[in-house]
Amino acid sequence: MLELYISAVVFGLGISGILFLVSIGISIGFGLMRIVNMEQMVYYTFGAYLTFALVSATGSFVLGLICGTAAAAVAGFIVETQLLRKVYGKELMFTMVVTFSVFLIGIGIVQYVFGLASKPVGMPFHTIVHMLGAKIPLYRLMVFVIGMLVYVFINLMLNKTIAGKAIRAGIENPDQVRGLGINLGRIFTVTFVIASGLAGFGGALNSPLVGVTPYMGFDMLLFAFITVILGGLGSIKGTLVSALILGQVISVGGTIYAPLAFVGPFMVMFIVILFKPTGLYGVRGRAFGFEE
Amino acid sequence: MDKLSRYLRGPLTLVVLIVIARYFFPNKMTFLVEITTFSIYIIANDILYGYMGMVSFGQPFYLGVGAYASAIYLAHIGNNILVAIALALLMGLIAGLILGPAFIRLRGDYFALINAATCAMGLFLVEKILYPITRGDDGLWYRSRMHATPLLDLRKPDQFFWFAMIVLFVVMIWYTWLDRSAMGASFRAIKVNENKMKFLGYDTFKIRWTGYTLMCILAALAGSMYAINYGFVNPSITEPARAAEVLVATLLGGAGSVYGPFFGTFAFLGLKDLVSTFVSRWELAVGVLTIIVCFKFSGGVWGTIQTIGAKIRSRGKASAQSAT
Repeated sequence: MLELYISAVVFGLGISGILFLVSIGISIGFGLMRIVNMEQMVYYTFGAYLTFALVSATGSFVLGLICGTAAAAVAGFIVETQLLRKVYGKELMFTMVVTFSVFLIGIGIVQYVFGLASKPVGMPFHTIVHMLGAKIPLYRLMVFVIGMLVYVFINLMLNKTIAGKAIRAGIENPDQVRGLGINLGRIFTVTFVIASGLAGFGGALNSPLVGVTPYMGFDMLLFAFITVILGGLGSIKGTLVSALILGQVISVGGTIYAPLAFVGPFMVMFIVILFKPTGLYGVRGRAFGFEE
Repeated sequence: MDKLSRYLRGPLTLVVLIVIARYFFPNKMTFLVEITTFSIYIIANDILYGYMGMVSFGQPFYLGVGAYASAIYLAHIGNNILVAIALALLMGLIAGLILGPAFIRLRGDYFALINAATCAMGLFLVEKILYPITRGDDGLWYRSRMHATPLLDLRKPDQFFWFAMIVLFVVMIWYTWLDRSAMGASFRAIKVNENKMKFLGYDTFKIRWTGYTLMCILAALAGSMYAINYGFVNPSITEPARAAEVLVATLLGGAGSVYGPFFGTFAFLGLKDLVSTFVSRWELAVGVLTIIVCFKFSGGVWGTIQTIGAKIRSRGKASAQSAT
């Protein structure tokens, strides 16, 4: 019985890593650009599909990982510079519908190129680690470790570099940053490209675990939103903590009672929003107004 | 009398147009009923979004409340279709009154997402927890249990069409009234500036609550009509993934206008129908078209019709003036 729960915890850690990578873009989009980034999942899907294509063509998973991330970043760059620039500053619903349309277009393109059927992606390695009597696939642990490394990296970037400090300042007060003569538009682009690259990276890492389907983004979208809301807007730390919590809710909860894997995250979000609308690490009154 | 005709003219024209369309394209009747039902659902969302400026990602939940209220009654308890509809309306009212106070104090994306969470939990409820009652994914089938109703036999698609027309007519009259009444004005004022409303002495909480409850009732009505028209209900009606089409249809038609929801539904379902006959992948086409509508025709279909109408009218006036 104990082994079952230990492996569930490790599975949850793997899910947390993916959730964290995928939801950074949405969190930053909320915090910095004040838009609802529903099309982040396009990059997730693109990353996964490119990995699938390259793994089946060349057999090299690392190559697929790199190309998937790059393709997602390029897609993010195109979408941001051609379309989303015109959306900044518009009302929330408008941004939602526009980005959702981009999401639909992305799904359409994926379906056009790769077809509707879901496809498996080969695991890069099948090493099993024995831990307290439980058998744990090393790949899941690796996904978690990569997620943590990305977090450390982002934190270093945000705290130590000028660009990162500008991003943080932009989350706090965009007008002030513009007033200081910083080109916020370029910062938006850079942030967006990094975020979409990370979403693609998450998709590439997740593809051996779940396989690829054109609609894989739909399932991830709601969970990514829950992660962001639970953690608080624009807070990278909050996103990490809520990804860790949700990973365990999905995995351990699903072990105890199978349907909880799907509904558990929603229940957690429901309770948190009702009692603390700003999320775990959100600051009251920032981004969008709250009553009180 | 004049005042009454102002409320009746628009809805009557709309219904007459649909009836004419039914006789010109007899094989499109199911499509017209679908449009009618869906546009009531969109009107519900338009009250929330177009008037009060609240975005919800969980509209299928409210549709499901009505659909399952009717379906459970018809499958397990009684046989009277009209009672089933009344029950759906009642459940919508109860849902609005209970959930309202908790939800409407949230703003913006939080309101949108707590609705998404509610929707996911609703799906879970009907799929798993209430399995003995709702039969989960198999759905409830009750067409044979429905008894004939007086005047119009709602079991027959042909007569259900007339019932749908009556419902649309009544809803549209009510909606036209709402658009011009003080209540509609206060809904709009909340969207523009809530603090000012409070300052003027209005209880904005109660106004929001009213709007939210009205939305619940209308969405439940639409759900109940779906349930009776199809004769069966399964959990796919409350799927969170279907929340997006509601938003797209609302925006496509032009949010916050009386005829916007209807034309939005017409455009959205028509496009989906048309596109899926040519290409099997409607996502691409709908996505591109929505972006075009968002950037080029920000008023939606109805807004564009209105601007074109205004242009023609002003040109007509100008030519009349130059003639004299």
